[in-house]
Amino acid sequence: MSPVPKVLFIEDDDAIRLALRLFLEDEGYEVLEAATGEDGLRRFQLETVDLVLVDLRLPGMHGFEVVRTIRHTSMVPILIVTAQTDTHDIVGGLEAGADDYITKPVVPKELAARIRASLRRAQAPVTEPPSGLTVGNIEIRPSAGEVLKDGQPVSLTKTEFKLLCELADNPGQVLSREVLLERVWGYDYLGDGRLVDTHVYRLRAKVEEDASDPKMIVTVRGLGYKLLL
Amino acid sequence: VTASPAVAPRPPRRLGLRARASVAFALIATVLAVGLSALTYELARRELLDQRESVARDQALDNALTARRGLIREEVNVRDVLEGLTASRSTQPIIRYRGEWNPRTVNFQVPDDLPTSLVSSVEAGDAAQQRVRVGNTPYVVIGVALPELDAEYYEVFSLAELQRTLRALAVALTIGSIVTVVAGAAVGWYASRRVLRPLGEFASTAQRLAGGELGARIEATGDPDLAPIVDSFNGMAGSLEQRIDRDARFASNISHELRSPLTTLRASIDLMTARKDEMPERAQVPLELLESQVVRFERMVLDLLEISRLDAGVGEVDLEPLEVAEVTCTVARGFPGLEQLVEVDADAEESTALIDKRRFEHVLVNLIENARRHGKGVVRIRVERGLGVVRVVVDDAGPGVVPTERTMIFERFSRGAIGRHGSGAGLGLALVAEHVRLMRGAVRVEESPEGGARFVVEVPVAVRT
Repeated sequence: MSPVPKVLFIEDDDAIRLALRLFLEDEGYEVLEAATGEDGLRRFQLETVDLVLVDLRLPGMHGFEVVRTIRHTSMVPILIVTAQTDTHDIVGGLEAGADDYITKPVVPKELAARIRASLRRAQAPVTEPPSGLTVGNIEIRPSAGEVLKDGQPVSLTKTEFKLLCELADNPGQVLSREVLLERVWGYDYLGDGRLVDTHVYRLRAKVEEDASDPKMIVTVRGLGYKLLL
Repeated sequence: VTASPAVAPRPPRRLGLRARASVAFALIATVLAVGLSALTYELARRELLDQRESVARDQALDNALTARRGLIREEVNVRDVLEGLTASRSTQPIIRYRGEWNPRTVNFQVPDDLPTSLVSSVEAGDAAQQRVRVGNTPYVVIGVALPELDAEYYEVFSLAELQRTLRALAVALTIGSIVTVVAGAAVGWYASRRVLRPLGEFASTAQRLAGGELGARIEATGDPDLAPIVDSFNGMAGSLEQRIDRDARFASNISHELRSPLTTLRASIDLMTARKDEMPERAQVPLELLESQVVRFERMVLDLLEISRLDAGVGEVDLEPLEVAEVTCTVARGFPGLEQLVEVDADAEESTALIDKRRFEHVLVNLIENARRHGKGVVRIRVERGLGVVRVVVDDAGPGVVPTERTMIFERFSRGAIGRHGSGAGLGLALVAEHVRLMRGAVRVEESPEGGARFVVEVPVAVRT
């Protein structure tokens, strides 16, 4: 990552784009702007971007589609910005592959904190567990930052990877959503459990044989999740 | 605060529709049954009496002729004459011969039991007939004068048989009447139930609508009397649903329209605040003003959006069993120095309640902010176990809430008069009440031991399966 992290900001509202660009520049980021999803994807392909910030309600291509397209080729951290607080929008964006979300009106300091946390997650070398771990046909290699399924590498986002490591580090132990939010996302206060749910859902789709009947990452109703050896 | 809409005072209690219908039917049945019975009885009585009297007259005249033939002979033995007369156990022939009474049997006291008016008219030479009651037994007495023989013939007919027959008839008619009245009441009860049954469906559908099930409708009916009512009810439900849909869409659009400029405002102000030192002093004050007002405005907008979402009934209630103490501590951690003020009772430590995490957090944040804004800060937050509930108590150091305002305070934009001035004409507590209601809990305000306000939230304990 370059010394000045690059943030691609896809947002159709010019005023918001300008105001937040200035703010983020103050915070020490380089901001690339795009007013439409199509334009954003073009810029994403041309430049090396450290983090993508996407508004969901975009003219033309919808934010969901932008997230899905980027996620198809890249594991870059993606934050969605939405004016809709409905589950439909937030869960939809997370399921498309976003790492986190923030709702409008955006509190700039909070946005900065989220971006910092996402970047930290993306670059921090995972130290634990020190040695690799094998669960069934899944092999986790923390030092290499990779996960193999039947010997083939599985592409996980940093958030998904960290979530898997966290669960694997405490096998058989139930981890509540709050604990996972704190350890994986670094949020202590008022995190949204749906972040965890959608990431577990995505993780299952990648590592489980049958995501609708998980054998590895199981839900403990009302308590959280645990990894079965 | 239970969300009970203001109900108009009920009119004084009176009999229900069904009871009234039953009583009316029973009354009609009574009038008809009693009238018919009385008429039947009276007609039967007259008819039977006439019949009996005419038979008695014929027999008395026959016997009088026979007696005359017996008395006209030279040697008269009145007893023999009497023995020769036709008589049954229920009749008693009496011959008065030359002033002397000769009854055949003696259970009818002669002449004491004979009515004097009858005797005097027979003495005058007429035939006469009269009803008389001796003891409990009715009789009819027929007298025939036999003037050429200086004799009179009387015959007494007992009507006891007839009286028994009439009594049996009366009993039968009375039983019949009672049965009719009861049947009438039953028919009233049944018929009114039939009539009221559709109303029950109206009520349950209205209840479902009120409970947020906006698609609830009454099934179409082929009954021509009910169809227009059902149609208009369903029409009303339809337009209600449409309107709520429109409101929800409007809320969603307005949400976007309001949130976007607020984002710009907030970011711009933060940018300026970061460069405050470079600004002339006269510009710094308005910037501070701007910042505080934008924050206030933002909270207002968010609260308004939230409450309009609640009103529109959008957004699901995601109840799951969670440890209340844990959620409370997490929320408290978000405010500097607040976590130390959280007390958890031993028996409440692991108590789980069925709550929606985000709503419950929202409730606690609002109560804490309310305490900070109007109550001079939180004094303690206590998590307790109650009967079937987990309770979170938030005490503040303010002047408290006077009893008359303890319900009002949860209403929208209620601004408590005493000591609760300042910014934030409250939607916060109204939101608290709404969220708590959706989680099937309750919230109220009391007085804390230190005299401040004590807000108590109760949510139902989760039953572990």
